[in-house]
Amino acid sequence: MFTSRLTLLWLLALPLCVFTAFFLIPLGVVFVASLTTQDGQFTLSQYGRVLLDGYHWQVIAVTFRLAILSTIICVVLGYPLAWYLVRIVKWRSWRRACVIMLILPLFTSNIVRSFGWMVLLGRTGLVNDALLGVGLIERPIRFLGTETGILIGLVYILLPFTVLTIGNALARVEPSLEHASRDLGAGPLRTFCSITFPLTMHGVMAGGTIVFSMAISAYVTPALLSGGKVTVLAMLAFQQYSTVFDFNYGGALSITLLTFTMALIGISSWMTRIGVHEKKGN
Amino acid sequence: MIIRLIALTTLAYLVLPLVVVIGVSLTETKFLAFPPQGLTLSWYAVILENPTYIRSFLTSAGLAALATMAAMLVALPAAIAMTRYTFPGKSALSAVLLSPLVLPHIVIGAALLQFGASIGLVRNFPALLVGHVIIVTPFVLRTLLPLFSHDQLSQEEASRDLGASAWSTFFLVTLPQIKAGLVSGGIFAFITSFINVELSIFNTTSTLNTIPVQLFNYVQYSVDPSIAAVSSLTILAAAIAIILIDWLIGLDFLSGS
Repeated sequence: MFTSRLTLLWLLALPLCVFTAFFLIPLGVVFVASLTTQDGQFTLSQYGRVLLDGYHWQVIAVTFRLAILSTIICVVLGYPLAWYLVRIVKWRSWRRACVIMLILPLFTSNIVRSFGWMVLLGRTGLVNDALLGVGLIERPIRFLGTETGILIGLVYILLPFTVLTIGNALARVEPSLEHASRDLGAGPLRTFCSITFPLTMHGVMAGGTIVFSMAISAYVTPALLSGGKVTVLAMLAFQQYSTVFDFNYGGALSITLLTFTMALIGISSWMTRIGVHEKKGN
Repeated sequence: MIIRLIALTTLAYLVLPLVVVIGVSLTETKFLAFPPQGLTLSWYAVILENPTYIRSFLTSAGLAALATMAAMLVALPAAIAMTRYTFPGKSALSAVLLSPLVLPHIVIGAALLQFGASIGLVRNFPALLVGHVIIVTPFVLRTLLPLFSHDQLSQEEASRDLGASAWSTFFLVTLPQIKAGLVSGGIFAFITSFINVELSIFNTTSTLNTIPVQLFNYVQYSVDPSIAAVSSLTILAAAIAIILIDWLIGLDFLSGS
């Protein structure tokens, strides 16, 4: 017993040291800084500056609006694509190629992907050219520097996550349950709504949570596609550290961002747990 | 039919920007043009002659390689401890070690900058490295955790009973079984580090820069097709990594029923 405790200690030594020194303590430092003035006195005024000010709430509202819309669109677009990959594609090699197409963007820097959209969404970019050519619009639409542009970029970057999580859930649905439903006279739509969709709900939730938490803390995509005209919370926090050098106020912004992210993850895991309980109850 | 149409359109949407970036890198014009006007590789020559790009590329590659190796050294013992032992605070430990996956990287970066400033760990290579180790360790850990099975335990016991030492048991019995997972987790870790901006941006300087941060700085102020050429090279690197993973573990995981 003694030797096994000792082995455990050896195994845990490095992970514990590294994460305490370079993760927990730094986050603690930020938390303390957010609660102090420049001279080290305790204060709540940094949070007051963040939470009692109309401008900040406007930024928080933009951040949330973008995150919520990205999550909804990612699920709505991701579900059919996941369905297609799992249920419709019959040819193995084509499915493999599709999965590679799905993962390739994930392995490419946000910069490169946003850069592609900067080219596509410009005044004379391909998107405007196509819309003008088809005759849907008469004058080029301004995408760059608007929330729509950022939304297109965010959805693009986060979509693979929902496709992968929903696809995994779909692949695990027991086909006999759907067959049973059809045998009992339910139509395809009814079967989907009362059998398949509920069984993939945890995949939808998992994907949605990843997308929301990444969208709410996204920095690169909004920074590049906003052209400085739209501000999200992560951009505001970064400014304090990179140009303003107000670590106390920046700390309060960081902790606010962190709290929103963790609250969201907490709520979604709580909802998933409730869902599991309900299933057990039935 | 409608699903097929939506799915294929969505796939096209996923590939389009990457195609555009590669297309732009081949244009003969001095401005970004898509579809490219003429075909040339001269923008690739431009970046290969630019020492700052080469240096950033080497910094990024070295950083990603070292961070991945360090992450393996941190994640492997943690995974063994978490799957083979019961101890108080185990779930808290796993939550902490996996949390960089979901926490805003910009906050982790800011925290490391502020903390690092007090101990001189700023704007140098070690400062970049510790940050990257923190964010890539969960990727390795996550692929390792499901690989330690119960069968292995009895095989290890058999090995020990036959007189092998703990180390040779690890290298001869345990390691071969988790090797594929270690490698694929390692590739995920490498790529995550290689494309990171949010963390690196706090600790890069004009002489110590990573490829994504350099691109980020350029793209915001001036754009010419050479940036598209650098971007295309990173897309190529990503494609190679994916082919490697596909070859190692197979990417056909969406084929269920």
